[in-house]
Amino acid sequence: GGSDRKRKRKSRWGAEEVVDKTVIPGMPTILPANLSKEQEQQYLLHLQIEEISRRLRTGDLGIPMNPEDRSPSPEPIYNNEGKRLNTREYRTRKKLEEDRHKLVQEALACNTDYKPPADYKPPVIRVND
Amino acid sequence: PGLNLNQGSGPITEVLCLMNMVTPDDLEDEEEYEDILEDVREECSKYGIVKSLEIPRPIKGIDVPGCGKIFVEFNSLIDCQKAQQALTGRKFSNRVVVTSYYEPDKYHRREF
Repeated sequence: GGSDRKRKRKSRWGAEEVVDKTVIPGMPTILPANLSKEQEQQYLLHLQIEEISRRLRTGDLGIPMNPEDRSPSPEPIYNNEGKRLNTREYRTRKKLEEDRHKLVQEALACNTDYKPPADYKPPVIRVND
Repeated sequence: PGLNLNQGSGPITEVLCLMNMVTPDDLEDEEEYEDILEDVREECSKYGIVKSLEIPRPIKGIDVPGCGKIFVEFNSLIDCQKAQQALTGRKFSNRVVVTSYYEPDKYHRREF
């Protein structure tokens, strides 16, 4: 868009340190003040969905490096080969998938033309367990 | 989709609206609310003088306007602009911070 031309020339030097900012392509985080409540709400839903998709795709799961900062783990569950199934990564991904599913449902309720991200799959609903 | 956001922020005001940082659930608990208030005040004070701060809290059975948003009134336009540039896109409890300027008249009338 036209904003590219207005932007000041950027140095070719990369950032010295990793900045604690997230850039989601095509989804600016500065909004104009004149959006309607509906536009704003929809945009925030879409942004959250894209952000969760990015985290799932890149493995940026937000698991604290320091084990002391992590929440307590549930009892481990193992498969018949002795491999742990409910690892923290598994639980975190599952939670993100669930959050994303909820957000996609909300986005579709606001706008039936909404197209969820290509890597989104609705959860498999088992009719009888 | 159908929404052109490349127009930027629009006119600068002294009131910054912070979105996507908290959910109404986060604000129910008194202690958590106080913590959030403190976190926001402390961080925003790095960029200028915070004149006032509003975090609309949920009330059972009522659809509270602006609940989920945080409004910060700065002493000057330049402070507010600095805060926006610094805070937008940052993470707050793993959520991406979205910002916009807010009309001071609406803010003072508590039209959130």
